[in-house]
Amino acid sequence: MIAIWYGIVSFLLIGYVTLDGRNFGAGMLHWFVARTSSERRQVVAAIGPLWVWHEVWLVGFGGTLLAVFPRLLGSAFAGYYLALFLILWCLILRGVSLEVGGHIDDRLWQGFWDFVFVFASFLLAILFGAAAGNVARGVPLHADGRFSMAFFTDFRSTGNVGLLDWYTVSIAVFASVMLAAHGATYLTLRTEGPVHDRSAVCARGLWTAAAPLFVAISIASWEVRPDVPGQAIGNPLCWLGVLGIGVSIYLLISGLASRREARAFAGSNLLLGTLLATGGAAIFPVMLHSTLEPDHSLTADAVAASPNALRLAASWWPVAAALAAAYFAFISRRWAGKVSAARDTQGY
Amino acid sequence: MELALANPAFWSRMQFGFTITYHYLFPQLTMGLAWFLVYWKWRGLRTGDEEYHQAARFWAKIFGLNFAVGVVTGIPMEFQFGTNWAGLSRYAGGVIGQTLAMEGMFAFFLESAFIGALIWGEKRLGPRSHFGAAVAVALGSWLSAYFILVTNAFMQHPVGHRVEPDGALGIASLGDYLLNPWAWVEFAHNQAAALVTGAFVVAAVGAFYVLRGIHVAQARLYLRAGTRAALVASLLVAFPTGDQQAKMVGRHQPVTLAAMEGRFAGGPMAGVAMIGQPNVAARRLENPIEVPGALSFLAYGTFESYVHGLDEYPEDTWPDNIELLYYSFHLMITLGTLFIMLMGLATVQSWRGRLESTSWLLWVLMLAFPFPYIANTLGWMTAELGRQPWLIYGLFRTRDGSSQVVSDGDVVFTLIGFTGLYFVLGLLFLFLVGREIGHGPEAGVTPS
Repeated sequence: MIAIWYGIVSFLLIGYVTLDGRNFGAGMLHWFVARTSSERRQVVAAIGPLWVWHEVWLVGFGGTLLAVFPRLLGSAFAGYYLALFLILWCLILRGVSLEVGGHIDDRLWQGFWDFVFVFASFLLAILFGAAAGNVARGVPLHADGRFSMAFFTDFRSTGNVGLLDWYTVSIAVFASVMLAAHGATYLTLRTEGPVHDRSAVCARGLWTAAAPLFVAISIASWEVRPDVPGQAIGNPLCWLGVLGIGVSIYLLISGLASRREARAFAGSNLLLGTLLATGGAAIFPVMLHSTLEPDHSLTADAVAASPNALRLAASWWPVAAALAAAYFAFISRRWAGKVSAARDTQGY
Repeated sequence: MELALANPAFWSRMQFGFTITYHYLFPQLTMGLAWFLVYWKWRGLRTGDEEYHQAARFWAKIFGLNFAVGVVTGIPMEFQFGTNWAGLSRYAGGVIGQTLAMEGMFAFFLESAFIGALIWGEKRLGPRSHFGAAVAVALGSWLSAYFILVTNAFMQHPVGHRVEPDGALGIASLGDYLLNPWAWVEFAHNQAAALVTGAFVVAAVGAFYVLRGIHVAQARLYLRAGTRAALVASLLVAFPTGDQQAKMVGRHQPVTLAAMEGRFAGGPMAGVAMIGQPNVAARRLENPIEVPGALSFLAYGTFESYVHGLDEYPEDTWPDNIELLYYSFHLMITLGTLFIMLMGLATVQSWRGRLESTSWLLWVLMLAFPFPYIANTLGWMTAELGRQPWLIYGLFRTRDGSSQVVSDGDVVFTLIGFTGLYFVLGLLFLFLVGREIGHGPEAGVTPS
């Protein structure tokens, strides 16, 4: 039961990263792929009507985490206090920039909100990347299951670590490149004209850059958490994940090469999803690793709500998920197709 | 209220209170306005009258801006359960997490999937599906309110729970928890109050246009729908929902009722103070003008009913800010009464066909729109200050709920950050909504 809930919570988080990640990516590339004012409106229109739908996945994740792993939420959210508020403020700025940017047809107004959009998207990609790095590396958990962490200490990845060290910063850079590539792939699918062509160039360049970074990150992760690969080799889910990564890379490369954009974007989503899922499966059952003392690590068992609470949540969660899948089908149909610079910007 | 140094939860309370109060300025309009959109879209579909479509289109723009600010200010709320209230999450996450998760999974997914379609999809969807999107968003927003109010009702009047072997709270009966009688009463009261806000805003814009002599055909729709809905909703806020809410407090939180009324000594024939200033140190209400027996009657059904006084309870179970609680409650009641009188008068004038020529009344309607926001805020202050010193009434104290690892310095820093960010956000919102109202409703389909 606990393993299933671990999977569900991971699924919600992965859903959030793949859905909103495309918006962070599009935001980071906003100035590069869109040069004129109408092209910039085109990029915003390609994500505009959907960003709220993407962002609520984070709320679904947070609420479900509180319901089934209350002690993890209490430990991790308090421990990451300042970093989480930076993320929340950037999410506010990002949402506002998307909503109000198109309200006034004026160069200064739109230029300002374009800047806010780019700035917030960059910071969000970096912060979420650093957060992922922190989960992989671990945090200075004490025996009482609590921790509080500075932004940085000595930039080493053991002992009394900070939010940022050489490893988490590397992961943040890697995540930013991945999300930018993901966003570029999305924009090739959803736009036409010059924005499409520049996005296609960006997508190819960024995915190419991501490959050596991925190798470097894998070696670094081995260095930081030598215990994890040994554990992962015995886990069939990790092998399934590796297979999924292979399939998604094939879809991505063949889609990009043959200009089948839907295939490439499917590959891009699958790649982000399987990478995170493989990582999640590899560290299980530990949900938060302690860099001070492995015994202080928080396992899923230790932080889960009572079996009764998990059973209750299991009684309604599938219904909610089925409904969400129905909305997803509706959205995908309604907002399919390309957005051009000249028309159909949905008011953005 | 205890000073910051003495109370580890002080700054987290300040931050949660500020961010939730600010946040709730937006959902109350969303939840009220949503049904106006549904109504106008439905009338438009039935009659084919373009005026109704135009009204829906105009208000959808304001709805969209309001909704967006509601979303971005709402996400920090859920996260604060973990960041600032880790003690509460550990103790009661297994209970309140259920409804917070349900809110995300059932309500937010529904709302957010259709909000884009409602605001930008009129052409893409066609009239029927577009009407469906309006209904979905309205239902989603009310559903979300229900889950949040169940969560709050549990904190006010915990039911359906049990203590698990590890000492944390768990759910004994999901049905009892979700159907908490406190939640039903609170939901009815709160949603009627949200309708009051929506209706006052709609009526105010109508009055503004009539007074300026522009968009008069549209303004007539706003005035008629706004004043009538406001009258019905204001009546519902007072009776039966407000009445039931007060009885609920009297039954389950008698010490809170005593504090709300500034009653230090218990007794029968308890009065409602029309005017009076609580002096907690001297334990009396100063300069009181009371309606004798009214509180006994309202809370317990007869004039002779005994109403408890604060003195009957240990001081460490008294709400910790009796003065603010007392004024919040009394001002809320005063405003609610004025709303009924104002909207009653406006409805009478509207029936007689004289509302548009009664210029002083239009002025009052135009300027009255901030007051439902104030009354809603006062209502929530009454509920939440009245709950103190408990986070979960009778079970868990507020001071035990905050995060131990987070320093006051961190919380003050983020509180300052929120203050600055929300100030700018407020200016931006008022500027853009003012601009939309200045443009006014336009004929013809907007580009979709």
